[in-house]
Amino acid sequence: MIPIEVRVPALLRDCTNQKTRFTLEASTLDDALTRLVQEYPLLRVHLYDRKGALRQHVLLFYNDDNIKWLERLDLPLQPGDRLSVVQAVSGG
Amino acid sequence: MSQQVNILVGTNKGLFLYESDADRQKWKLRGPFLSGWEVYSVLGDSRHGQRIFAGTSHLAYGPSLRVSEDFGETWQQIENAPQYPVETGFSLNRIWQIVPGHSTQPDTLFAGVDEAGIFASHDRGASWHELDALTKHPTRPEWFPGAGGMCLHTILIHPINPQRMWVAMSAIGVFRSEDGGATWQARNQGLGHAATGQPSPEVGYCIHKMVLDPDDPDTLYMQEHTGVFMSTDGADSWFAIEEGLPADRLQHPEMMPFGFPIAVSQIGDLFLVPLESSEQRTVEEGRLIVYRRVRDGVCWEPMGDVVPDEPRHVSVLRDAMTVDGLEQEGVYFGTTSGELYASLDRGVNWQRLPGQLSRILTVKTWCVDA
Repeated sequence: MIPIEVRVPALLRDCTNQKTRFTLEASTLDDALTRLVQEYPLLRVHLYDRKGALRQHVLLFYNDDNIKWLERLDLPLQPGDRLSVVQAVSGG
Repeated sequence: MSQQVNILVGTNKGLFLYESDADRQKWKLRGPFLSGWEVYSVLGDSRHGQRIFAGTSHLAYGPSLRVSEDFGETWQQIENAPQYPVETGFSLNRIWQIVPGHSTQPDTLFAGVDEAGIFASHDRGASWHELDALTKHPTRPEWFPGAGGMCLHTILIHPINPQRMWVAMSAIGVFRSEDGGATWQARNQGLGHAATGQPSPEVGYCIHKMVLDPDDPDTLYMQEHTGVFMSTDGADSWFAIEEGLPADRLQHPEMMPFGFPIAVSQIGDLFLVPLESSEQRTVEEGRLIVYRRVRDGVCWEPMGDVVPDEPRHVSVLRDAMTVDGLEQEGVYFGTTSGELYASLDRGVNWQRLPGQLSRILTVKTWCVDA
């Protein structure tokens, strides 16, 4: 298990015990995404719709990469990795 | 024991609380709470401690239901909040209304949502389930959204018979239940049909807001897209009550008395804020004028310009006008420009409360023992 840093927007910190940066332990990126909503179940409704798809204006970044464009999610985690929840540009 | 009067104001950028004593001369503004969230619905509930429920939503992060037990200082998100089962295919976008159950059901709450539907909780808000007979109604395929979405924005409960309930939805109509929400019947006879493009005469009515008479539970009033209506038979039939309004159809058949909120006081005064038209959706010529119709009156009367010294090209949304139920009844409304006004003399004079807020979505009062 590798500890990685997770970052969430301040608007969602009531789902994560008031923390916007915290450590999560997982073995792969896929595993980290699963553990994130298992450990903080209130996050699930804000990140995913009822069908389990990522909400349209929510982005998940693995280090500097939008995970939407990664070819695979079973990437082994490395010390120092980051998983970030980012609100997509959605204003006018 | 003295009373504390609270005005709960939901905006598109958080929740604000105004506090005063029963004199309501000096108001203290607190907030924003739930900063950054839209607050489309709020309820102060004194049945089990002092709790505030807030229906929150966000473009990116979706809807949620939150509760505070310390007058807004801290909030708990409710994990088992209203959600449509996946198999329904419906999307829950916002929580538009939260109301307490009948007085004989102290653990019950109801919530109205967009897409239109009603949810109930019988454990003080901890878990919720849909009263799905409404969305299983045969007319459901013809339900059509208004400009604010397809929202169930009004839930009324008969004061004596808890089994009788009414809901109002935009742009669908009024439905009534005689069995606590197990079955529903459309009740829209006499209303003006909205331009939804759907063929059924049973639905397609753009109710903006509906209230129940405080003394006669067979009497209801509504501001609808095409006019202002009243029912004296529990919503079996509706008729227009528009004399005196600026768009009087008796004189100008092509004009509709358009507006969003309607409020009724404990002595039966009705209050409206007419807008220029459906196309314009602001007060006419920048004059923010409240209209009142007294119980058994036949005519609406303008109660004077709320802000006579300067034009206010604003609107008042459907859930942004209310009363406080005290003996000298206070009337309150908030504008789309974030100003809150109060009257303690049945709408004759108005006081602007401190603060310039964001777009005001809902205004509710909550009186508690201090």
